[in-house]
Amino acid sequence: MRRALGVLAALVLLGGVTYALIPDSGPGPTKLVTVTGLIGSEKRAFFENQQVKDELAKQGLEVRADSTGSWTMSDKAKQQTDLDFAFPASAAPVKEIQHIWGLQDSPLVPFYSPLVIVTHAPVARVLQENNLATLDDSDHGVWTFKMDAYLAALKSGRKWQDLVGAAAHPELSGTIFVTTTDPQSSSSGAMYIALLSYILNNRQVVSDQAGIDATKDVLHTATALQGGQKSSSDEPFKDFGAGVGNPLVFAYESQVAQLALSGTSTGDMVVMYPDTTIYSDHTVVARSANGQKLASLLQDDEELRRLEARFGFRPQADPSAFAKAVQGKKPDFAPDLTAAKVKQPQVPAQDYLLKLVAAAKGNAQ
Amino acid sequence: MNPTKHRSWRLAATALALLVATACTSASHSDVPPTAKPTDAPAPTAQPGVLRVLAGSELQDMAPVLEEAQKATGVTVQFAWTGSLDGADAVSSGRADGKYDAVWFPSNQYLRLDDAGKAKLLSETPVMVSPVAVGVRSSVLNDLGWADGSKVTWAQIGDAASAGKLSYGMADPSRSNSGFSTLVAVASAFSGAGAALTEADVQKASPSLKKFFTGQKLTSGSSGWLAQAYTRAESGKVGALVNYESVLLSLNKSLAPDQQLTVVRPVDGVVSADYPLSLLTSASQRERESFQRLTAYLLKEDVQKRISELTLRRPVTPGATAAPTLPSDRRRELPFPGSRAVADGLLASYQNELRRPSRTVYVLDTSGSMEGARLNSLKAALGRLTGTDDTRGVSRFRDREEVTLISFASKVKWAKTHAVPASGGQPGPAAELASINADVQSLAAEGGTALYDSLEEAYRVIDRQQKAAGDDRFTSIVLMTDGESNEGATDGDFKKFHDGLPAGPKSIPVFPIKFGEAAVSQLQGIADLTGGKLFDGTASLDGVFEEIRGYQ
Repeated sequence: MRRALGVLAALVLLGGVTYALIPDSGPGPTKLVTVTGLIGSEKRAFFENQQVKDELAKQGLEVRADSTGSWTMSDKAKQQTDLDFAFPASAAPVKEIQHIWGLQDSPLVPFYSPLVIVTHAPVARVLQENNLATLDDSDHGVWTFKMDAYLAALKSGRKWQDLVGAAAHPELSGTIFVTTTDPQSSSSGAMYIALLSYILNNRQVVSDQAGIDATKDVLHTATALQGGQKSSSDEPFKDFGAGVGNPLVFAYESQVAQLALSGTSTGDMVVMYPDTTIYSDHTVVARSANGQKLASLLQDDEELRRLEARFGFRPQADPSAFAKAVQGKKPDFAPDLTAAKVKQPQVPAQDYLLKLVAAAKGNAQ
Repeated sequence: MNPTKHRSWRLAATALALLVATACTSASHSDVPPTAKPTDAPAPTAQPGVLRVLAGSELQDMAPVLEEAQKATGVTVQFAWTGSLDGADAVSSGRADGKYDAVWFPSNQYLRLDDAGKAKLLSETPVMVSPVAVGVRSSVLNDLGWADGSKVTWAQIGDAASAGKLSYGMADPSRSNSGFSTLVAVASAFSGAGAALTEADVQKASPSLKKFFTGQKLTSGSSGWLAQAYTRAESGKVGALVNYESVLLSLNKSLAPDQQLTVVRPVDGVVSADYPLSLLTSASQRERESFQRLTAYLLKEDVQKRISELTLRRPVTPGATAAPTLPSDRRRELPFPGSRAVADGLLASYQNELRRPSRTVYVLDTSGSMEGARLNSLKAALGRLTGTDDTRGVSRFRDREEVTLISFASKVKWAKTHAVPASGGQPGPAAELASINADVQSLAAEGGTALYDSLEEAYRVIDRQQKAAGDDRFTSIVLMTDGESNEGATDGDFKKFHDGLPAGPKSIPVFPIKFGEAAVSQLQGIADLTGGKLFDGTASLDGVFEEIRGYQ
């Protein structure tokens, strides 16, 4: 039955009449339409949540999603033919997926989340003592990570054991660097490269070969120091939570907020907002009418927006939802990114970002 | 009915039985209230499924949790076991496609260094964590003055090893993630690398690494056999074991008081395994859903606590309580190499330059029954070990290895010894490897099977070689036969012979390979008596000869 509906929907879609068969969300038992797609691993818990499922079911949808690195999503989108949507954690792979699927509409961005640096409280204090981070007492105790100072440390190969106050923490040794995912397979890793390249290029988005040449060496250092990199944002964050891995991890704010909001103890975990950082724009590329419907619901349905905030995302259409949700939660979050003076650069165009990533991985052209 | 068909029928019957069992479980559980919080993902039991997982053998200890998972999720996990690095090869080469739905190794780090391998993984979910650590026998810990072991560095461990005060067992890094992680950790520590290892770091660390590996007295292709060998070794011979913290702590449960191990996580850094359950891109939709259900279950806070208590690995879900025996002080995590070139270079250096060299003896049955296809597959399998195309030193005879081939039937026909030289000189290893292959190809089948006589001769050969060279090598014997001993000494005679050996030769393990109509009881007896391990070459002689390299 379900399959028959799907076939009908596809036929109708081909005919151009897209709304005729989408189940109405009116009263009475609704027939669920299965929407199949790819999501970044950071959204998996959201889609597995029963309340989210219930609200989607109320609107006639059942979402079936595989989590995969956002950055490689276009490859998987190519391999899999039965998809209704792809939902990467950034706008970067969107164009490519649209191209593969022959789409042109501008996709919806129901919510976003800034990229932050996760660390342990004692480490944050060591960074503060050494002028690599600040704590704003007046504003909910929001931590800021100083990107210029960090890049200077990267360039000079500064070591933890050279920092004042590090001796009390034997696990703080070796070169100071932030751990990210593999920029070749995961969006957060690629966003880190985008962020560093912007700052290294005199706070200009890299848009020419000169920009690549000017930034490639430090990008390569920042990547090579990390050694083997994991393929999705879930992994370094899980490792951090398990008490292993590097003390500085590049993560989505939503990953931490989701934990805090679910009532899970985050121990001595601290969120540091880089003074300049990229926001991950969670973008729905809808291939079918049902995919489109899912995108609209995620953006406009008030209950879903409330749930998005509860999973740590910042709904685009309701800026206060996140602040409301995290009020009084630990660790401290910036309720308002503008008030916290977090600057947001643009992400380089896809072809330049790919070149920057290649340079970071030691394959500069 | 041919045998293949017969087997597939049996498999089908098993699958059916499982389906029925699952269906019953689902029905009886539908009215049981869920123990999880309402915000947790539900564990739907309507769609029973089987997830076929290629996994590291360490994961056998997850069986009770997976049984519970089966009840809660309807997903039955079926395992096939392999070493981490061999498993990575299987995934990269596409051999896992369609055969398995998921892989589950201690780490995907090595696999991920290969672009082809990386592309085969759809999603990876770390399930639990365990750092590689050094388990030190308590008496040795006292002698070294290391107190409770909580402040020990790799440099101290290296010094103790090179001074002959610390001997240890470690799994073969070309096969096992625990061995490889150890190699990465010591190379990082000894080179003073602040971050991920480079080729220059490996060069720089070489002299210290060589000294450190003089302390390695046991090598193994699997961590199970390593633990067994440690237990067997006479007291004082092996003072420590390098393995996952979880393996060492679990081993303590079955060790005698004087063999108890204190787990040392060196303060200058560890390499940890995070056991990512990984879905293969080739898996179909139904299995993908099974995978999602299973991982969601395994990450639940209460399940994580249960896993930690059962396996002594650390939970990955924040808020989940770790087993109380696990210390909570933090360690620096040493990064894994970022390129295949560095990783393989490190492995090749270990095998060909850094480790103690091996003395390897093959006792090969060339009786009349070996004539034809059997002899040909023996020649092919051994010949493969003489190939030079082997990037991480996983199978070929290593530089500095001494290899003896003994061809026997009614009596020993000939014994030939080859010393593979180190690289860099003239002639290099290639010429000697070719010469080994020439001997292999000259094997000819004729005569009866004087198994025990020929095995005894191997001990005498080793004794002469050791006396002549006065050296200290990893020494082992491989015994390949396709039949039953029907001439010369009996198993009783051999036992008497073995009992009379001095401690050194007595500890030489024999790895018998069962082939053709070999008498399993005789071969198992030899493995048990000598502390070796029986291998089955019936399916693939190539595979077995290669697997045994991990023990040589």
